[in-house]
Amino acid sequence: MAEREKEIERSAEEIVESFVESAKELPELRETYYSQEAYNIVRPDGKPTPAAERAKFRKRFISNMPTSDDQGNLKVEVARWAEER
Amino acid sequence: MGRGTLEKLDAIHRGELSAVENVQRALEQIEKLDKQIKAFIELNPNARAEAEAVDRRIKRGERAGKLAGLAIGAKSNINVGDLRTTCASKTLGNYVATYDAEVVKRVRAAGGIIIGMNNMDEFACGSSGETSAFGPTDNPAAPGRIPGGSSSGSAAAIAAGMCDLCLASDTGGSIRNPASHCGVVGIRPTQGLVPSHGLIELSVSFDQIGPLAPDVYGTALMLETIAGRNPDECTTLDLSSVNYLDKLDVKIESIRVGTSPKFSELTDPAVMKVIDGAVEKLHDLGAEVVEVELPHLEKGLSAYYVIMSAEFFSATRKFDGRKYGRRIEEVCGDEVLRRIKCGDYISRKEQRGKYYQRALQVRTLLRREFKEALDRVDVIVGPTVPKLPHELGTKLSPAEMRAYDYLTSPISLAGTCAGVIKAGEVNGIPVGLQVQGRVLGEGTVLRVMHALEAVK
Repeated sequence: MAEREKEIERSAEEIVESFVESAKELPELRETYYSQEAYNIVRPDGKPTPAAERAKFRKRFISNMPTSDDQGNLKVEVARWAEER
Repeated sequence: MGRGTLEKLDAIHRGELSAVENVQRALEQIEKLDKQIKAFIELNPNARAEAEAVDRRIKRGERAGKLAGLAIGAKSNINVGDLRTTCASKTLGNYVATYDAEVVKRVRAAGGIIIGMNNMDEFACGSSGETSAFGPTDNPAAPGRIPGGSSSGSAAAIAAGMCDLCLASDTGGSIRNPASHCGVVGIRPTQGLVPSHGLIELSVSFDQIGPLAPDVYGTALMLETIAGRNPDECTTLDLSSVNYLDKLDVKIESIRVGTSPKFSELTDPAVMKVIDGAVEKLHDLGAEVVEVELPHLEKGLSAYYVIMSAEFFSATRKFDGRKYGRRIEEVCGDEVLRRIKCGDYISRKEQRGKYYQRALQVRTLLRREFKEALDRVDVIVGPTVPKLPHELGTKLSPAEMRAYDYLTSPISLAGTCAGVIKAGEVNGIPVGLQVQGRVLGEGTVLRVMHALEAVK
């Protein structure tokens, strides 16, 4: 591991351990995962996206593709272990 | 950009200033100043055409919307279709947003013109504006010093008159901290008031989109525009609309303002002197000032870092470079890597309960203490940042850097709202007053800030 990464890892562990130290005397309480509890859990299906919007989305989506084959399909990185075989 | 937000809107509606002229002036100001300030990463090439469309609507007498003709900056972690939403990181350096975030849709529907994408700390990991892969942002209100972060470019753009209003985001203080350092106005809304759809997350349970503006009117106007339920999103509160502008002028004589002795324990005396002066002004305006207890305020910061890092680690697992962009750990800066390592450490199965769940208990404690304090008063006022902004490029330890968030992260844990307005200066450097309100208490927070703005 590079020296930079090691040093960052050390400082990350320090942050976490300093929390443990600072929370030592605090009471045990119920955990709060989210600040509000009255969320809209059930979502409506809604209407399908208009065709023009879908076309725009596709164009933008394709513009983000780093590599594609000659038919315009997205090429993703082949796992290194597969290349080595 | 020279005038107050209300005055400018009136000029646009009366036809004295066209949307095109307004956008053109903003672009000229960016051209003139942004090489030095670095408040923008990318500009919208269609801004002028969008302004022409607004002018046509106004000319035809159609409803042009409450932001008609205003130039709006968007933080680079908010998706704006066709513009690069980079999070100021090499990881997403070439990512062109495929859609508009819900808040961007609302701004556009209200006639606002997105002028460009603001610079920021990389993935919103920072409180200084120095961690961007596109270079650090300078502070127009205190040149050579940090503008604060992570919404560094947004606050700097407002302070330099490069745009009228900004869409920014606040996780542990990212709207409030730069508002304070740059002498502008901002508000972190109550968790869930503003839709988060389209925001590239830092920490999903803390992130909130909110406005930065040159004045309280602009802040209230933008918040009115973007707040309210999004039926496609399960994390927005069930509110159809909000109204803040109508009550901005209501006097604050019946308001109870709380202060805590904890603030002076944690804050540079020079900063505290300015804050005490602002509290005195509120007293002179007729507000009743009382002391409140926040016994564990200083415990908030480290608990916030534990929860935020665990959530950030989880959020960044998708940036693995297999389909798009580059693997985050290979190209990110030190602060992003530190938070990923922190989150990795916390998230290991054997550590469960010791760190993350314990931090969630501290969140319960802080939430309870703020609720008890805010049951006694309408708002709590105090400093936003405990110290003055350092000079750009100064080497700070991670602990010194984290200290910038001491007074803003507790409100993020409590899930309530807080606004920031300039209280004064120390040696020409702005100091912001943080006005902390109840859940959905934005109206009162804005009223208090507006009253203070009027006496300046």
